[in-house]
Amino acid sequence: MLGNKCEKCQAEFFPPVNICRACKSIDLKPLEMPGAGKILSYTLQKESVAGFEEQEPMVFGLVELSNGVRLVAQIVDFPYESLKIGSKVKAVFRRVKADGPSGQIYYGYKFGPPRSPRETSATEE
Amino acid sequence: MTAALSVFISRIGYTKVGDHWDKSLSEIAFQASKVLLKEEASPPDAIIIANALSELSSSQGNLAAIVADALDLKGVPAYRVEAAGGSGGSAINLGVNLIKGGQMESVLVMGVEKMRDLDPAKVMQAQGLSENADYSQFFGISIAAMNALLARMYMHEYDVTREKLSAFPVVAHKNSSTAEHAQFRKKFTNEEVSRSEAVADPLRVLDCAPVGDGAACALLVSEDKLSSEQRKSAVEVLATESSSNLVNFFERPKMLHFGATEVAAQKALKKAHLSMEEIDFLELHDSYSELTAISLESMGLSKQGEACNDAAAGRFDLNGQFPISTFGGMKGRGYPVGAAGVYQICEAFMQLTERSGFNQVPNARFGLVQSMSGIDSSAYVHVLGFAGRTGRN
Ligand SMILES: [Zn+2]
Repeated sequence: MLGNKCEKCQAEFFPPVNICRACKSIDLKPLEMPGAGKILSYTLQKESVAGFEEQEPMVFGLVELSNGVRLVAQIVDFPYESLKIGSKVKAVFRRVKADGPSGQIYYGYKFGPPRSPRETSATEE
Repeated sequence: MTAALSVFISRIGYTKVGDHWDKSLSEIAFQASKVLLKEEASPPDAIIIANALSELSSSQGNLAAIVADALDLKGVPAYRVEAAGGSGGSAINLGVNLIKGGQMESVLVMGVEKMRDLDPAKVMQAQGLSENADYSQFFGISIAAMNALLARMYMHEYDVTREKLSAFPVVAHKNSSTAEHAQFRKKFTNEEVSRSEAVADPLRVLDCAPVGDGAACALLVSEDKLSSEQRKSAVEVLATESSSNLVNFFERPKMLHFGATEVAAQKALKKAHLSMEEIDFLELHDSYSELTAISLESMGLSKQGEACNDAAAGRFDLNGQFPISTFGGMKGRGYPVGAAGVYQICEAFMQLTERSGFNQVPNARFGLVQSMSGIDSSAYVHVLGFAGRTGRN
């Protein structure tokens, strides 16, 4: 999760911004986001978006990272019933989707429990 | 400074919202405008097409020329506006400003959308195009799920129960049950809404506006273009304002507040020299239940966290203090995405000219229309008044 940080006022951003939202500076440096965060909101998505039908239903969460940056991500390895506002989560690297005919496989971050047994695995294969 | 030029809506046209399986985008647009165009002595100075999804839904780009051609408007400048669910609101805003700028005397704004041919997963993909491609769409989150994240936060923050949130679909469907052009002419009880099928928990299918096919148009004209007789049946655009916001709602410092809606509404009311208390009804961008609640609160019509209680108490009913979504809104009338903002204008026109039948708001003098793209990423607010009743002419 590569975001960026304002060199002038130290504000941190993810997704990365071109212009600092706090002080308007364009002097920003890439910054890896912390992997730890907590759930601010969550949902069980029952109607899939095209390309994700095989993963139905998917769980998504609004995550606040330990540096205060917020993002939306898929939640994995977390029983939906035990998910709560305030639950601690940690970023994991996973396969997001595979495109049909071209066979292109896309990877990205998802969030799981803090001590997920699979947190270090790079793929789901 | 000379007095600003006044812009009026002289005529409207629309189709029923729903399934138009057998018709192309151009044909639906023709159905909506054929009477209007036939009865006008001359073509408009320009046409603006409001459409969000034609490339995906109909493999059709170049929509401005395509629709202008289909309406036999050869020679007329044609433009297309895309701003997701706010396309219609954006097109009205631009059309009015073209006339105010003195460049045009008449502009036909045509909203048209065709969604019902797509399978459900494609509809979800299409609606999600309003969100960031790399950081939202990429992960497979739908626009319904984005709204669900917002709805749960809203409910948690203000201790709003699932049942309380159901007040808005109940109001919308009560109004659409008597609206001839509505997609869903059916009332629902609070319990039916709360227990309807889950789409993205906590949102249920009856919280989410159904996509539909449809076209709606409004002819905008400068005051000089209207005879005194025509002016008696025209509606004045007292103000139209727009504002934009951070696209990702979760990046905003105040996530449960719609800053674009607030700013556009405040500016529009100020330009119209009106207070919200003087507004007789509102057409809202109510495509998900919590959007209605947060929009009302952001415009100051309810205290924070109180909109659902106010709705349950009847404040937003047709005979309440601030009637909303008087023909059912996105929820009940249906949601032809890019055309939705033009339907809202048509409905406000019908209210102000007392052509609303069972849905008529008594003595409606001033109406406020709010449309938005995404989740308040852009907002468009128009204030309309009827020349015959505004007491200003
Ligand atoms: Zn800065």
